[in-house]
Amino acid sequence: MTANIETHNLSRTYETYRKPEGVLKSIEGLWARKTEFKTALHPTTLRIESGQIVGLVGSNGAGKTTLLKLLSGLIHPSSGTATVLGYKPTSRDPDFLKRISILLGQKNQLWWDLPPVDSFDLLARIYEIDRSIARDRVHELSSILHCTDQLQTQLRRLSLGERMKMEIIGALLHQPDVLFLDEPTIGLDIIAQTTIREFLAKYVRERKPTVVLTSHYMDDISLLADRLLLISQGSIVYDGTVREFTGKAEARQTLSLKILNPPIEDIQISGQFILTAGTLAIRQELPAHSIGDVLHALMAISPVQEIKIEEVEFEDVIRSFMEKDARLRASRRTPTA
Amino acid sequence: MLACARLAALQQLEYRFNLIADTLIQPFIVSLIEMTIWIAFFASSGQTSLAGFDRSHYLAYALWAGFISRVSTSWMYESMMIDDVESGTINSVLVRPISFFEYYLGQLMGYKVLTTSISLIAPIVVCLFLDLPVQLSRLPLALVLVFYYLVLVHILSIVIASLGFFFTRVHHLTVAKNITLWMLTGEFFPLDIAPEPFKSILIALPFSSAVFRPIGYMTGRLPVEEIFFGFISVTCGIAVLGPISILMWNAGRRRYSGTGA
Repeated sequence: MTANIETHNLSRTYETYRKPEGVLKSIEGLWARKTEFKTALHPTTLRIESGQIVGLVGSNGAGKTTLLKLLSGLIHPSSGTATVLGYKPTSRDPDFLKRISILLGQKNQLWWDLPPVDSFDLLARIYEIDRSIARDRVHELSSILHCTDQLQTQLRRLSLGERMKMEIIGALLHQPDVLFLDEPTIGLDIIAQTTIREFLAKYVRERKPTVVLTSHYMDDISLLADRLLLISQGSIVYDGTVREFTGKAEARQTLSLKILNPPIEDIQISGQFILTAGTLAIRQELPAHSIGDVLHALMAISPVQEIKIEEVEFEDVIRSFMEKDARLRASRRTPTA
Repeated sequence: MLACARLAALQQLEYRFNLIADTLIQPFIVSLIEMTIWIAFFASSGQTSLAGFDRSHYLAYALWAGFISRVSTSWMYESMMIDDVESGTINSVLVRPISFFEYYLGQLMGYKVLTTSISLIAPIVVCLFLDLPVQLSRLPLALVLVFYYLVLVHILSIVIASLGFFFTRVHHLTVAKNITLWMLTGEFFPLDIAPEPFKSILIALPFSSAVFRPIGYMTGRLPVEEIFFGFISVTCGIAVLGPISILMWNAGRRRYSGTGA
């Protein structure tokens, strides 16, 4: 298979500065600023095949968007190289830009003051698409996304979900070969998330573009991606399939509850934690598979009220994955007797 | 570029009240203030002429200065360009097969064509009503020079917007530039009444092609050769500022972090 995206030791460092608190320090900052460098992406070598759908997952500030911006040519790398469709992204070759699209979920790329239909007409001219073909594509995409009625309403007057649908139409109008999707469902309600997720799944199945998708939502990734890149603190810490990842990562949940009768002495609960004497409120992060046993053990001690089970933060899933991965590596290195 | 010009026209036509305020109210107030200053000057000094031209010539100059200067400035698009760099909105241009220069120059020209065609009705009517000494047949050539000068103004805006990559917020530089141009263009007063050597320097600079040369030509202060010299002067300005803007833009782009986007 041919590689549509290749990077070699691609990295990006930002210059920033630290300003201590207070007016005097602000005045001092007029002539003396302590600059510092923050690495958003450590040297990264990647190869993404044509037609592959890659989910890029990580917490805020992990380096996902930086990687997308580097691949789409929005920012220049501090070191290393990138090629996308055989082009150097930062050269901004018009032929390259006509074959890619980037959708930034937290930014409007259509024109705020215009109804989407005028924005799409302008995009058709910029991308040199025949206007009747562009109109047909807008009609087709808006029908699938159920937003035909909003095409002639000023963008600023649309809801967030409606705006995102319009942004998606704008991003797909020129039928890009490579699609960068940065948090396409962020901030949307469940219904809008599902609609957009299903639409994108159908689109990539039919058109087969190469897709790099970032998201905080594992549902986006599990439905769309066939390859997962896990990024943490500017480094790719996992590269494999979604199925392999979920198999490797230990699913964890947080259990919160109150018991009515506190124990009079410390009790070991299902081998997971010790319930200390006098405790009434419990909040404990546990492996998902052990929640049933723990609840059963607690109910044997006292009647239980206000049970709450939450998914742990994504960063914790990453940490859990990394801890387990580290344990596995260590055990592989340890010779068995 | 035509698509961007069309975009600007569409955006302006969305907001009717703002369009009227921009094209008629704002330049009319500027003209009124400048005409009042000249009326006061001639009334209090007792002079009937200044540098060989009478009161009506200065009133005609002041009237047109308000309207022509609004054609030859780009503070609105310059502010938008600076905002784009500062907020990361520039991304939506950078990922499309169009250059930032072309995108905004197209919009600037589209905006100016639309608003000028509305705006200039006012001074034409006032000139005819007050019988001021203006040769309206000279207006088309004068406007061609002003629109050519807009290319230079746009390049200057690119230079200022590029500074946004380095210093993030540079809005006040636009204000400082506009105040400087207020004098250099001849909007504040006809440049030929300045003492030497300032007079020769000010007139030779390309900025005189924004207001002084076109209105001087229309009001009979300057011959047509001065318009042609204006084209040469603006071309020299573009030749100097153009490479500087490219260098600064490229350096800024290498530094750009896309923060906030």
